[in-house]
Amino acid sequence: MRRFGPRVFQVARRFFHQSTAVEDAAQEIFLKAFSALDGFSGSGSLEGWLTRIATNTCLNLVRGAGRRPELATADLTQTETDWLDQSAAAHSGREHTVEDRLAASDLAGRLLESLSAEDRLVVMMIDGEEASIKEVAASTGWSESKVKVRAFRARKKMREAVEKLLSAGRSITERAGKGREKK
Amino acid sequence: MSEQHIIERLESGPLAQFNESELAQVAAHVSGCESCRQAYLVAQTAEELLRTRAADLVQPPPFFQTRVLAAWRERQAANEVWSFGRLWRTAGAVFSSMAATVAVLAALTFALPATSNTTNSPALAQSSAYSAEDVIFSPDESDSTVSDEQVVTTIMDADDELR
Repeated sequence: MRRFGPRVFQVARRFFHQSTAVEDAAQEIFLKAFSALDGFSGSGSLEGWLTRIATNTCLNLVRGAGRRPELATADLTQTETDWLDQSAAAHSGREHTVEDRLAASDLAGRLLESLSAEDRLVVMMIDGEEASIKEVAASTGWSESKVKVRAFRARKKMREAVEKLLSAGRSITERAGKGREKK
Repeated sequence: MSEQHIIERLESGPLAQFNESELAQVAAHVSGCESCRQAYLVAQTAEELLRTRAADLVQPPPFFQTRVLAAWRERQAANEVWSFGRLWRTAGAVFSSMAATVAVLAALTFALPATSNTTNSPALAQSSAYSAEDVIFSPDESDSTVSDEQVVTTIMDADDELR
């Protein structure tokens, strides 16, 4: 458990935002793995086998829990709003503080929660962890063409959610600017 | 690419997979196209968010192992109770059928003689004349026909033979 704990937590974090939910999922993954240990043939790696169990367990847990409604600008914390503003202003060459990274990680987790379980997995692995189509297919048991289609749709949904937040942030900034001009 | 919009190309894959020449073409296009510039900004932001989350590694909390092992023991105990319950349910069918058989046999044993005793019909009385009690306790008819004289005669004959 000590050896594979970080790996299991990494998989669970693709699906869950709250740390308590990640811990609960990791616990469930280990319990499933203990129950199925007799079925491990030893032909592949133990880590690969555990990753597969982790992915399937998380997919089922998210499917059972359902997805959250879309994230609105009003739901964002001040640090998350600041991060988005800075992101919209200057993308390249920006220095990342620890607070910046935490805000971005938190915001990403909340945005992912509005997607389906499969979309979370695919977009996080391919766009976030830079995994290949083959790696995702091996991790999920899906065909490569299914992974490609899923990735395309998931990426589009993720970007739509980000675009909504950015455009809402822009309109708020414009309104604030006009207000200042009138005064 | 500078004449064509790049939105479709941006959606086809992660920006990390774009090579340098592709990125240069994208930069050249977005400098003169507002809609593509917005799409590029959104793609960059989305990917940066996801990459930051992926890089943000989380270690299991200190007592996670203890918690999992406790949950495992709890689940095993629950499974044992459940398997005992399943065994009991399976055996219950056998036990109940055995109990029903015993009850039927007991009813046949005790209820039927009671009904025969209560009936006073002569036919039944005759049929029960050769019951064990009758044979043991009633005087045998053949025994009653041997008279005392015959017994004395038999004893005398035996004495004569001995002499």
